[in-house]
Amino acid sequence: MLLFTFLMSALTAHSQPNCLVFKEQGQMKRYQACEKSKALKGHYQFSREFQEILDEVLEIDSTFAYAYRAKSVAYLKSGDFIQWKKLMDQAVKYDPQGMLGYRGWCRYQFFRDYSGAIADLEQLTRLVNHDIGYSVTGEYHLKVALAICYGALGEQRKAIELITEHLKKEKHFIGLYDYLHLAVLHLELGEYNASIQALKKQIGEFDLAEVHYYLGLNYRQLSRIRADQEKARQEKELALNEFLRARDLYEKGNRMRDGYSHPMHKIFLAEIENEITLLTVQEDG
Amino acid sequence: MARILLLSPILISLFCLIGCKELNPSEKYLRWVGDIEFNPALDDPEFYPCNGEEQVLQYFNLEAGPQFPGEKPALEQLFKSQYVVDSIAGQSGWIRLRFMVNCKGKAGRFRLLEANSSMVAFQFDSSISEQLMSITKSIKEWPILYRGQKAIDYYFYLTFKLKDAQIQEILP
Repeated sequence: MLLFTFLMSALTAHSQPNCLVFKEQGQMKRYQACEKSKALKGHYQFSREFQEILDEVLEIDSTFAYAYRAKSVAYLKSGDFIQWKKLMDQAVKYDPQGMLGYRGWCRYQFFRDYSGAIADLEQLTRLVNHDIGYSVTGEYHLKVALAICYGALGEQRKAIELITEHLKKEKHFIGLYDYLHLAVLHLELGEYNASIQALKKQIGEFDLAEVHYYLGLNYRQLSRIRADQEKARQEKELALNEFLRARDLYEKGNRMRDGYSHPMHKIFLAEIENEITLLTVQEDG
Repeated sequence: MARILLLSPILISLFCLIGCKELNPSEKYLRWVGDIEFNPALDDPEFYPCNGEEQVLQYFNLEAGPQFPGEKPALEQLFKSQYVVDSIAGQSGWIRLRFMVNCKGKAGRFRLLEANSSMVAFQFDSSISEQLMSITKSIKEWPILYRGQKAIDYYFYLTFKLKDAQIQEILP
């Protein structure tokens, strides 16, 4: 029972619009629908009651984007991409500025629909003349999410430019993993020193197993292209130390997390162990 | 013929009394979105939730994130080694296999959901969906999740992002 109480309170806690605004604007159907939606309080978003209240809300005002979005969440989290998309298409239809960022983020986070997310976030950028905002999780600026999607489609250079531009802004928000993603993009392009620089900045923001895993990959790559044998040996040693540090942090639970899916560029213990084994075998050989 | 036509409204009403169960508003939804009811035509009668249908949670309710047997790379390796389908142009989109995992780590009540690249309902070539289903069902031990000391029953799913019949990513 305690768990259910927790679920209800935690999972229905998405922002309820201020109904009085609609009343003051003379949008009486919207106002009534909004008032009706207050009955959602206390109901788990997966529940029959939650869905039925929203159906009633939409009967009052079938153009209320908030209600479509609220209905869509349970479908999103249960992996029902068909119902989710139908509902979110309606939400975007009636409130593109308010809903494109959310739909774009979810397309990326839950379905790895990179081109769909890019389309939404680019459309939002064209629509508004202000900041496009943050992911619903609060961990990412949507410009960084957009960059990650470009990176996933092989456009790493464009992705790096987007993140760098975002991080250069005077009043920028540094996401939990921004420098980590930037570092992986550099690594993918073979820009090892730039990648190491970004990872060192990430340590200053939030140190975790992934940082040291990617540091290890960078040092390992540098050791392979190095003509100076002594320097190459030192870099191989650095790589091994970083992988060992990554394993230690991973086992302590300091790693990328997401309650619903696996975050982009997350690594797993087997991948760290594999790198340690490869380096150790090389050393022995 | 005319007699049949005259009788047809009566026959339709009769059939509906027997087979067409009209949904009243309270039946439009199950307990929770995504709940999977037992279907004797599809499901193993030996599989059931340990704590009753009303206590089945979602995998994320315990805030531990998605859990896989042997972490995700092991799962990806399983599909990489066992899923063998040639490239088929146009067979792109998402396939979700949703199922229940009980307190013993056993899975059952598998259900399929398929959509194309626009997330519109779409039926993939059966060689694709059947293999994905078969490999998923071959996993005999799923992680047992606990609430306190008690092993729970939970819903989980695997979503396969496909391009031309090839697996691009496995989610969540």
